[in-house]
Amino acid sequence: MAYPYVSDREVRILSRNFGDPSARRLETYEAQGGYGALKKALEMGPDAVIDEVKASGLRGRGGAGFPTGVKWSFMPKDTNKPHYLLCNADESEPGTFKDRELLRWDPHQLIEGLLIGAYAIRAEHAYIYCRGEFFETTQVLAKAVEDAYAKGYIGQDVLGSGVTIDVTVHIGAGAYICGEETGLMNSLEGRRGQPRVKPPFPAAVGAFGMPSTINNVETLAAVPHIVKNGGAWYREQGTEKSPGTKLFCVSGHVNRPGNYELPLGFPLMDLIEDVCGGMKDGHALKAVIPGGSSVPILNAAECADCTLDYEGVQAAGSMLGCASVIVMDEHTDIVKQVRRMVQFYAHESCGQCTPCREGTAWMTKILQRIEDGRGTEEDLQTLLDMCVQMTGTTICVLSDSAAAPVESSIRKFKDEYLALIRRGERVGAA
Amino acid sequence: MSDAPFKNPGWAGNTGEFDLTEDQVRGDEFVGERPKAGGHPSASATFPFMLPEKNPDTPLFEGEYQERFEKILTRYPTKRAALLPALALAQEIRGYVSPESMDRVAELLDLSSAYVRGVATFYTMYNKAPVGRYLVQVCTNISCNLCGADEVLEAFLKYTDTEMGEISEDGNFTVIEAECLAACGFPTCVQINSRYYENVTPTEVPKIVEHLKADAAKGPR
Repeated sequence: MAYPYVSDREVRILSRNFGDPSARRLETYEAQGGYGALKKALEMGPDAVIDEVKASGLRGRGGAGFPTGVKWSFMPKDTNKPHYLLCNADESEPGTFKDRELLRWDPHQLIEGLLIGAYAIRAEHAYIYCRGEFFETTQVLAKAVEDAYAKGYIGQDVLGSGVTIDVTVHIGAGAYICGEETGLMNSLEGRRGQPRVKPPFPAAVGAFGMPSTINNVETLAAVPHIVKNGGAWYREQGTEKSPGTKLFCVSGHVNRPGNYELPLGFPLMDLIEDVCGGMKDGHALKAVIPGGSSVPILNAAECADCTLDYEGVQAAGSMLGCASVIVMDEHTDIVKQVRRMVQFYAHESCGQCTPCREGTAWMTKILQRIEDGRGTEEDLQTLLDMCVQMTGTTICVLSDSAAAPVESSIRKFKDEYLALIRRGERVGAA
Repeated sequence: MSDAPFKNPGWAGNTGEFDLTEDQVRGDEFVGERPKAGGHPSASATFPFMLPEKNPDTPLFEGEYQERFEKILTRYPTKRAALLPALALAQEIRGYVSPESMDRVAELLDLSSAYVRGVATFYTMYNKAPVGRYLVQVCTNISCNLCGADEVLEAFLKYTDTEMGEISEDGNFTVIEAECLAACGFPTCVQINSRYYENVTPTEVPKIVEHLKADAAKGPR
């Protein structure tokens, strides 16, 4: 065992250096063949790199699952405007803790992926937007960027190719919404991190008004492996529609929480029972949030046959999101946890759109009232009505994300809400 | 090596089968001290801006800080984009972002004071008022909450003898509730100034508080 928990069912590609403190060093990374993929990419040419990534079927790991190669191909090829590549390291979806591990254990893997991405989309400047709280992690990344500059991997004339790519590490200052791509762009520009209306899409008008592409840390970290080994190799793992491996962040009531790199399509119950060593204290499973707090909750029955790929989780009634698996046992107070999640969205709403600004605050109040034993059955219908009005009516999906746990929990755990409303009975109360 | 009396190697230390030192996990030894003037411009905007020492009367952006500020400006196509790093730098120097600091930043970046205030108040990490020597932020979001974060928060309030958001009488602590800190597998996660404390349980809290008090008693360094 290492990294405090690993499983022999893992396929450790991106996470191969987790738990190895020497891997942060440029020399170690180079000794592993590091920056070889960058050299190869520079020989291939930008379009061939995009084709290879397209062939791999790599899908964006930030939550939406959009094919990365296709996204890159949207960048205009016939413009004199500067292009920007932005790396989204503003990891803040509750339940997600993979990007921080990728940044602090293997910073050069990300930098290499970032450089290849920037080259492919013809960007001369790439920004890594780290969330502000990651002070320690950002220091590790900053050192790695400085080292890569010193060795000529970054800067003017990258490895003698004549290509210029600058990298700047930028830090945020505590706002969940800056993880939304256009919110991140506004924040990078020195504005409030409020999402923008799309279209225009970032590939046309992005950061600083220029064509931009934004990718998640995990997406870019996979790129060197794809360029080095080929798209077909990447497809050996995972499913037809969801190829490759994915870091699963497991938290909550399991014996061995942590990050596990598994092929997409892995069975959810195997993840909990085998990889994570089963439920804590032998308790029974009550519910799982499979993709971070923004996706619908699954009850135990729905988890039984759920496979962890974009399609499998959707078939079970939720979304894979960023594969943040939050596990809840039989003693969990669902109403309290849903209230806590909605409280988070109320705190993080940027305030632009009325349904979100007002809706998240009202929902928090109503859920708190129910939790305190002062709710009515009518409140449940009010909440459900609000969920409808908060879905698909705003600039970004924060509002929809707040509605997802509310709607799904009322539908699947209505008896818990009713027990509180009718008899003041709280689950898990001693 | 850390001399902390509690087991906290940055992650999973209380539960994992894990034999690295705290410095190795955090990469402290790899990073070390960075020059105040900012080092390489690519990373000049990334310095921790929640520090124990607070010097509210220090002039902003002079000497080495001025040098760093100028490096930051070279990394963006617009002056406005340097706003977040500039606010962070102001907080790093003074401990919080005062109205006067915001006015100065506005002047330097050719922005209006109102605009700068509008941006500064959008982001939670800029302290708009002074805080204690240690800003303790306890994550109580879902993953930590499932594992007892509410009790950890209560314990911090109890052992620092302070109310939520207030500065303790000795000036050492401000305790607040935080949203998800992206360390969900290692609950409860607590950010104290620029540093993460993970797998914190209520029984660890008095040890951490005592450790910080002892650190404060050593005086400024």
